[in-house]
Amino acid sequence: MLLHIIQKMFRVVRALRQPRLATQDVRHHAVHLSANYRGQHTVDHEVCTGCDICADICPVNAITMLKLPFKRRNTVPEVNLATCIYCGLCEDVCPTKPEKAIKLSGGRFDILTGGSHADQESFWLRANIPQSYIDSRLAEEEAARVKKEMEAKKKEALAAEEARLAAEAEHAQPVASGAEGEKS
Amino acid sequence: MQQLQNLIAGFNVSSCEPYKQCWIKAKLTTQDDLISLATALKANGLTSLITVSPTDFPDDNRLELNYFFEDLLTRRNAWIKVDIPRELDACQIPSLTPLFPSVNWHEREAFSTFGVRFIGHPALEDIFISEDFIGKFPFRKGFDWQAHEANLIENMACIVRGFEREHAINDARMGKGSHTTLNWGPTHPASGPLRLRVEVNGEDIISVKPDVGYVWRGLEHLVEGKDFVGALVAIERICFMDNTNAMICYAQAVEEIAGKPITPFASMMRVMLGEIGRVVSHLMGIGGFFNTMGLVTLQMWALDVREYFLDVLEDYSGARIATASIEPGGVRYPLKLALLVTLEAAIAKYEATRSEFYAIFINNPTMQSRATVVGIITPEMVLNNGLCGVVARASGVKTDIRLDEPYAAYDKINMTYMLAEQGSAKNRFEVLFKEVDQSMDILKQAIADLRRGIESGEYRPEKDAMVRIPKKLPDGEAVSRVEWSRGELMMHLVTRKSDETPYRLKIKAPSVNHTMMLETLLAGKTLSDIPLVFGSLYICQGDLDR
Repeated sequence: MLLHIIQKMFRVVRALRQPRLATQDVRHHAVHLSANYRGQHTVDHEVCTGCDICADICPVNAITMLKLPFKRRNTVPEVNLATCIYCGLCEDVCPTKPEKAIKLSGGRFDILTGGSHADQESFWLRANIPQSYIDSRLAEEEAARVKKEMEAKKKEALAAEEARLAAEAEHAQPVASGAEGEKS
Repeated sequence: MQQLQNLIAGFNVSSCEPYKQCWIKAKLTTQDDLISLATALKANGLTSLITVSPTDFPDDNRLELNYFFEDLLTRRNAWIKVDIPRELDACQIPSLTPLFPSVNWHEREAFSTFGVRFIGHPALEDIFISEDFIGKFPFRKGFDWQAHEANLIENMACIVRGFEREHAINDARMGKGSHTTLNWGPTHPASGPLRLRVEVNGEDIISVKPDVGYVWRGLEHLVEGKDFVGALVAIERICFMDNTNAMICYAQAVEEIAGKPITPFASMMRVMLGEIGRVVSHLMGIGGFFNTMGLVTLQMWALDVREYFLDVLEDYSGARIATASIEPGGVRYPLKLALLVTLEAAIAKYEATRSEFYAIFINNPTMQSRATVVGIITPEMVLNNGLCGVVARASGVKTDIRLDEPYAAYDKINMTYMLAEQGSAKNRFEVLFKEVDQSMDILKQAIADLRRGIESGEYRPEKDAMVRIPKKLPDGEAVSRVEWSRGELMMHLVTRKSDETPYRLKIKAPSVNHTMMLETLLAGKTLSDIPLVFGSLYICQGDLDR
């Protein structure tokens, strides 16, 4: 009996000293990986036109558009990775050229989430837009707005000038027409 | 064909015209003529009534029933339409099940989903739909799915109550001698999500009643909520084993209604992708057959070879199983020549393993002696029960849609029917294996054709992949058939003008009729025959339930 126990203990100790076979984290190595593998999306918010077509065609409604504080090009897709079936139709219909704003092909295959409920709930591809981009876009729009305003003012001034000239011309008109009338 | 057309025109029909190369399409003015017409068709050799497909037109207050009669031997088919009233009380028509046993479950399905009552049906019970949908007829237009989904908890409780009722009945029967009800599945290793209620006396089977619908997803309804391209993702999920051929079938129907032929290059690509799908599916089916006999080695070996073909699908489309690679208008991606090299490597892998498959499994004496005596299907059973595909060919019936009504570029392919004589479980397994060999041959022909075409400039792999299909289709309907890995897959697509979604899609899948056969094949046999017969029928619950 005692011998038996000692034998078992010896075996366990020896087994513990053996090198582990599973030394590679296979979650991050694919046996076969194609260049166009439809994996996790990448969304390029600088290219995206915010046209909404990807959200429209998505057969499982996994895409929602995040509203941005701009006047134009003001939405960007966010993908629910748990709902998504990775069919790639969003990439097909994306109208931007030459680079697609939303892309799956060549995307990550090791899409892993944590085990908790909260992890599952937040298993989304968020837009994650840097503040600097928002600031620069806002500044751009502000600049455009100012420019437009200036142009509008200029135009107004021009129009006022023209109106003044026209009024002056009208003032002179009767004479001119009178002269013409005499001629005929 | 002319004779068939004359025959149908002799009844009260408002239209009767040839449709495609082997169909006569006719519309009956009244349902009174249905029985006499069906009898005449049966006497003329059209012995398989493969399905009945209702289409709901609430605006005209009518349901249109489409009957599809087929003659597997002479390739003459008839598509008969008849209108019935839409109100639930008046929504009835004489049943054709007494004449055509093949339509039994299809009539039950039409009853469950549309509420059509078939007068004279031997057992008009609900099928496929879950308990919570009974009496609600979910495929009718105007069924409020959201209101139904809102009572999720109650719906699930309803399903559980159904099981409890049945359990109580079985319990009451227990203890009376050796007569009992045994549930084979849905968690049996060989069953898949399907349950056979097996009435046994000791080891002898008295009757088998399949309980199906465990994976009913309402795919035919789901496509009605998607556009013509988005519908693909529902269609390819009929069955994960062979996913390309189902998409070919749907794409053909859309192209027919849109009136846009696809390019020769896309047709040849469809042949290639379709055959890859068939090989992938067959390799799994081969393993499944031996699996049910308790030998898993073949499954492992076959799955190993299958991976190489999945690599090809991944290289082409970016996904291994749900490829979504065939769109209406052609094929979704252009072809890179490197793909053909990968495919050749996969074929070489199969050919290197093939002799071992044969030596160890196909010529296996135990299998040979065990499987030759069970599950025998005669040619008459095939013709009367609407069986198709491998099951039909193993009984010596020459049917193969690739040859009967060539689609894609199968007319350019040199191939024959793969037949066996006796129709036993062993024959079905052998035909399955022969078809893998045949598919390899077709793949080689397709590769050679693609190479030749690209070199000579006939095919432009970048530009020819897709033809533009408009977002909205005109009013129309089409029937499209392909030879799926498990047999004939038929889709009946109805579209309405200025709709961006399919109006109605009926999918006729082969597993329905094959599962229906279980009762005939197993009655009087012993319990140990169930896995073998079930495994040899090559059933997939995905396309059974849809």
